[in-house]
Amino acid sequence: MSNGMFRARITYPKAGRLRFLSHLEVTNACERAARRAGLPYAVTQGFNPKMKVGFGPALPVGTGSTCERFDLWLREYVPADEVLVRLQSASPSDLAPSEACYVALRAPALTVSLTIAGYDVETGESGSAEDLQGFLDAVVKTGELVVEHKGKQKVFELTSTLPKEPTVRSMNGRVVVDITTRMSERGSLRPEALVMAAFERSGTGGSVLSVTRTHLAEEEEAVRRLL
Amino acid sequence: MSDLWPRIEPLLASVERPARYIDREWGALHPIDPDYRVALVYPDAYELGMANQALSILYERLAAIPGVAPERAFVPWRDMAEQLRGNDVPLFTLESCTPVGEVDLLGITLPYEMTYSNILEILDLAGIPLRSDDRSDSDPLVFGGGPCAFNPEPVAPFFDAILIGDGEEAIAEIVATHRAGRAAGASRSAILAALAGVSGVYVPSMYDMTSGVAVGRDGAPDRVTKRVLADLDSVRPPVSPIVPFMDVVHDRMTIEVLRGCSRGCRFCQAGMVYRPVRERSSDNIVRDVLAGLWCSGHEEVSLTSLSTADHSQLEDILRRLSRRLEGSGISVSLPSLRVDAFSVDMARMLGGGRKTGLTFAPEAGTQRLRDVINKNVTEEQLLATVHKAFSAGWHRIKLYFMIGLPTETDEDVRGIGALVQKVLDTARESVEPAKRGGIRISVSVSTFVPKSHTPFQWDAQVTPEEVRRRQEVLRGSMPKRGVDLSWHASGVSFLEGVFARGGRELADVIEHAWRAGARYDAWTEEFDLGRWISALEACGVDPSRIASRERDTGEPLPWGHIDVGLSVAYLRIERERAREAITTPDCTFDECTGCGVCPTLGVDVILGGGGRE
Repeated sequence: MSNGMFRARITYPKAGRLRFLSHLEVTNACERAARRAGLPYAVTQGFNPKMKVGFGPALPVGTGSTCERFDLWLREYVPADEVLVRLQSASPSDLAPSEACYVALRAPALTVSLTIAGYDVETGESGSAEDLQGFLDAVVKTGELVVEHKGKQKVFELTSTLPKEPTVRSMNGRVVVDITTRMSERGSLRPEALVMAAFERSGTGGSVLSVTRTHLAEEEEAVRRLL
Repeated sequence: MSDLWPRIEPLLASVERPARYIDREWGALHPIDPDYRVALVYPDAYELGMANQALSILYERLAAIPGVAPERAFVPWRDMAEQLRGNDVPLFTLESCTPVGEVDLLGITLPYEMTYSNILEILDLAGIPLRSDDRSDSDPLVFGGGPCAFNPEPVAPFFDAILIGDGEEAIAEIVATHRAGRAAGASRSAILAALAGVSGVYVPSMYDMTSGVAVGRDGAPDRVTKRVLADLDSVRPPVSPIVPFMDVVHDRMTIEVLRGCSRGCRFCQAGMVYRPVRERSSDNIVRDVLAGLWCSGHEEVSLTSLSTADHSQLEDILRRLSRRLEGSGISVSLPSLRVDAFSVDMARMLGGGRKTGLTFAPEAGTQRLRDVINKNVTEEQLLATVHKAFSAGWHRIKLYFMIGLPTETDEDVRGIGALVQKVLDTARESVEPAKRGGIRISVSVSTFVPKSHTPFQWDAQVTPEEVRRRQEVLRGSMPKRGVDLSWHASGVSFLEGVFARGGRELADVIEHAWRAGARYDAWTEEFDLGRWISALEACGVDPSRIASRERDTGEPLPWGHIDVGLSVAYLRIERERAREAITTPDCTFDECTGCGVCPTLGVDVILGGGGRE
């Protein structure tokens, strides 16, 4: 009974107010939605039986997304479109899934396979898109970025962290930076840290209004698509 | 109504745990175009308030009234309160981000005494005058209710009205009376006078407190009799509650399986004021647990009450639930177990098959003192239960005790250590030698605080200095290994005792302390006894006269006008029997003990035997 026979992969957003949730809060909410959906979820074996699920790379509090993923193991086959509809009707709208499909039982865990993430960083009072592009390029050219988080310093080596040059575009009167990062076990660069470093370099400052993850990809897929 | 969200959103990036303020949880309601908004406010942080069952019940009862929008608010944490004040944003309701000062009815729970400073924080952040006397027709009606309403006087001036007792039925009458008054263009004072006519509603401004006795004016009854829901099965418990995103305390589905407890523990206010025992039927409990799990998606359900193990059908309920939940990974839990009703079969059906910790409350260390407090549990029963549990594979147990009980001597205090030693020895003898090292006994020792409406309501509370001395005696008596000992800070218990039995004079003290920065006093790291002592001195109130003084049983008491149905004669007799260490049986299983509740309130004990699935 406990071993999941089917592995559904769900894509869902983290939108609106719910971008203020922590990773743990999001994963709990998804599990509860799966229970409310009445799906025949599998349960782990052992001392403390739990729903068998696996989530993709964590998002920080405040960062939104259009493309989060989790795997849900099922004891019985349920057509993917039915999985989707049942989860949608049992989820808060800002977390309601947009896609469901089945993947191989032996596919690697999402945290292992998903290494490339793209973000839109929306800025405020940042000057022109061209100027910001120049400052970002200058930061990238230095080759590394030192980020302070909770009192600890972390050094990101930018050639490997940024598989693609950040680009700046204007959208509805707002300046938006498109940043793609590579995540590793040594940590993930918060894209707003790169933008803030560019603001610092400009001397005139600026602010980050919102950060949204817009794509998540496996290494090979990203290389094919981006490079 | 103004929607404050655009002004709240920019503040969230700089505060801890923003999930406290964003709403949008599964089960939160957003009715369209309501004409009457109610803000239900818990006077503590979101993660504590969301565990409160009363709020969940009232939320659902209010939502059933056409045109009414129930909404929630909690006390913002210090960082958010600073942001709100700094940016001139008032306290808001979660669902519609309406300023709390603009709702029609503001209901504040009174869960425990140490939240009193937070009541003023709520009113101030909402921009509502702190005292009922200073409010105008444009301010919301400020209502209180909950466990501390049974001695409402310390906070009475901050409330327009306070409901005494069960709210399920009263809430609709309160809303209807308020709406009718407003529709007729009645003044605030006329509406309050009408509310004083609703059974169970106390309107403090309509009472003169001369020589310690409350006298009602303009038709307000001299004694306010508590509301009681005669049959718990007449109101279904919330089965589609709000499911928090944030990790809250008691983060699980809860179904109340019975209300009231007539075991008659003489220290226990809840056991006295929530009589009589009213069980839900087993069929309804099983139905509501399954519906609640289905609607909420919770991974755990707790069957709650003052003493769930006393439910006459508990084994049957657990058997049916464990069959229905098999293989789901969902577990059933109970708040605590009874030493005299423990069975390994039953315990195995809890915790989803996990051998989680077991909790028992012997309360006192010697048989004499257990008889004084009417805790009808013997050492033999406790040790037999420990033997059964550890033989069956459990290796952790938690024991609750109290110190400072009336008639307590050092021998009784040392008796706690001696009893814990026997529990430890029994546990060790019940497992294989290789597993003896893993045995843990948690011992939690609170300080007894005499409460209103109990046989000990006239007794002196032990002074903080004496509490600290007895805690040292306790520490010295405790086994050195295998035991985790914790106790309550003496200062907090002292202040709790002052609020538990003080009168209206304490309102000035609470306001003084709040102005000096008192907030979140129930949080150890936020509590500052010095601030409260200064406030008491500044207001000329001697706290030891309230807490540490034995009263004559004829003396008028600040809660004398609050009638919970118990006769004073019963309380006096119970006090006498305590002095003589004579126990009194439970009327649920034995004959009537003459407490007076059933005839006074026109109710009866209800047991939940009945059909099968």
